[in-house]
Amino acid sequence: MISVSNLKKSYDSIQALKGISFQIEKGEFFGLLGPNGAGKTTTISILSTIVEPSEGTVSIAGFDLKKNPAECKKTIGVVPQEIALYNELSAYDNLLFWGGLYGVPSAELKTRSEEILKLFGLYDRRNDKVKTYSGGMKRRINIASALLHKPVVLFMDEPTVGIDPQSRNLIFEVVEKLHKEGMTIVYTTHYMEEAERFCDRIGIIDDGRIIAQGSLEELKKSCQMKETIVVSFVLLSDTIFDQIVSEWKDLKRIENSIHFYSSNVKSDLAKIIIRCSETGLDIVHIDIQKVNLETIFLSLTGKQLRD
Amino acid sequence: MIKLALKDLKLFFSDKRSMLLTFAMPMALITLFAVVFGGTGGGKESRKYDLLLCDLDNTPASHHATAQLDSLKSLNLIPEQLENAQNLIKKGKKDAVLVFYKGFADSMVAGSALPVELQYDEAKEAEVGLLQQSLIPTLMMLPFSDLGNIPNMMQNRFDKMMGNAADNKLKNDMHAQFDSLYKTIGKGVSSKKNVSADKGKDVAQSFGMGSEIKMTKLVSATNDNSVGLVQAVAGTAIMMLLFSVVGIGASLLDEKQEGTLKKLLYSPLHPNSILFGKMIYSNCISIAQLSIMFVYANLVFALDIYHHLPSLLLMILATAYACSGFGVLLASIAKSRQQVQGLSTLIVLVMSCIGGSMVPTFIMPAFMQKISMFSVNYWGIQGFYDIFWRMLPFRDTTFLSRILVLALIGSVLNLVALKMFNKNILKMT
Repeated sequence: MISVSNLKKSYDSIQALKGISFQIEKGEFFGLLGPNGAGKTTTISILSTIVEPSEGTVSIAGFDLKKNPAECKKTIGVVPQEIALYNELSAYDNLLFWGGLYGVPSAELKTRSEEILKLFGLYDRRNDKVKTYSGGMKRRINIASALLHKPVVLFMDEPTVGIDPQSRNLIFEVVEKLHKEGMTIVYTTHYMEEAERFCDRIGIIDDGRIIAQGSLEELKKSCQMKETIVVSFVLLSDTIFDQIVSEWKDLKRIENSIHFYSSNVKSDLAKIIIRCSETGLDIVHIDIQKVNLETIFLSLTGKQLRD
Repeated sequence: MIKLALKDLKLFFSDKRSMLLTFAMPMALITLFAVVFGGTGGGKESRKYDLLLCDLDNTPASHHATAQLDSLKSLNLIPEQLENAQNLIKKGKKDAVLVFYKGFADSMVAGSALPVELQYDEAKEAEVGLLQQSLIPTLMMLPFSDLGNIPNMMQNRFDKMMGNAADNKLKNDMHAQFDSLYKTIGKGVSSKKNVSADKGKDVAQSFGMGSEIKMTKLVSATNDNSVGLVQAVAGTAIMMLLFSVVGIGASLLDEKQEGTLKKLLYSPLHPNSILFGKMIYSNCISIAQLSIMFVYANLVFALDIYHHLPSLLLMILATAYACSGFGVLLASIAKSRQQVQGLSTLIVLVMSCIGGSMVPTFIMPAFMQKISMFSVNYWGIQGFYDIFWRMLPFRDTTFLSRILVLALIGSVLNLVALKMFNKNILKMT
């Protein structure tokens, strides 16, 4: 559905993209993660046709972006990070306007707008001016306005920033529904749990390059990261710790706790508990720290996602 | 493009404050300026200028002249002693005094130059200029009244013109020719009491008075509109329109700031369509604003707009187009609304000042009148003067040239705006 090859973009002396390539299949939910300034927005801006690449090729739904930008635009929907609506117009009028730009026939647009307003739980307030809406409600309309022309590909740039839990859950439901219906979604977010929850595949971008891509499991494997079993004891003597070290190489002691690094948590956890029981150690607490995007990201980039 | 313009119009009409600023504010200012420029009270009741009159001759001829002047709608004659009159002028309480010196009646009979003087305050030249417009035609007509002696007047004028260049024989021959001519057309001017202003003017011209009457070309004789009212409506409407279009143009920057411009660029619209949409919107509001201002002037001040409707519509379209271009250009150049506001206030005020929106250009010094041609206001105001004051017909080349200039200004401004808009879009993204 989307093919990006050796994409480069320079702004004067700054090279924002240094040759990124990735493929997104039809119906796939693709997450694009990266710290600020990594090149996410530039990538999304190029894919959504408002920025011309310096080099490289992009095709969306079979249309070459350079040769046929108008057709590309018709197939995509963009949910920008900022809430881009006309506050003095009602939600319904906003939808009619934004949908109208994509050439949706008037009657169909009206029906579709009403359906979407119902989907986002805003039908009852459809005639209220957007300026009277809460931040979460505006976010919902912001997303809704990108769906009126039934895009094949949806770009969502941080769609849940700064909203209330109710709106967030509603947006999640809609996003999941769209995904199930077969829409291809490209999603950027700072929230790891969102990426982990929705994304079939993730591309991690840093300093203008894709440094890793694949499913969560594939990323884990490629990073060779292990999960951590943290066992805390009432008292941990040096003698006993030395015994454990001799039997278990990949671990680290932090005061009365031991961090065991494991590739197979289930079997290793049982072994640890049995061994501790045999040595007479009183376990206070056990915590399993799974490998997640945050740790993968940290491992790959050396930065927190919000850096 | 049309959808964008319709959206903007919808936004505009949902914003009561914008509506108020666009329509109510100019109306209030037009009212104010109309009062200031003396254009209130309808076209038929134009402002009367106070003129002190000192009749030192005190003869039937001078009384007749006084009566003639007193019959003018534009004058309010106040008889006064010369010394008192001069004091009043020196104290700034009155603008001018008209003095009929002794020998006024004799001059009428002899057909020689009338001993008349207008004494005035130099600081009130503008007012006196308007006074002269009323005085001169009446004074020029006095020799053609029952008390005047036309043949003598003509002979005197001829002698004065020729000086020593003609010998006595030639002069006598010419005097005989004048007598003969006068007798031939005598019947035509025998009923001169009833001669209308226009006919009288023709008579005066036929007797070689054209060069003197030329400066008092009275368009007002056939014009119900007050010059003050035309100035107030046209000047204020254009100035306020410039402020409005700046606001409209600045909405482009609001869109940029609020992210809707970027979102518009995501859509299949061509980027230029966004600007064209703004231009259409700006033109619609401009046309509406100007039209409403003239309808308002018609309803409240009886400005006659219906006799000039095609010219007026054409002028409104041209002015709206030129002014809209100015607003869109400013928005395309500036990088923020604050910049637009600062820049526009300065430019609009300067253009309005030099272009004649604040004060009529005819009272400006000659060099300022030339500079004024560099403002949109000038061409718009002059166009409206052509329609309502000079009463130029629709196909008059002077009128059409103003339309052409405005159209050119609009086109150039829009083209530059388009170029700047594209440049700014690239910068933004």
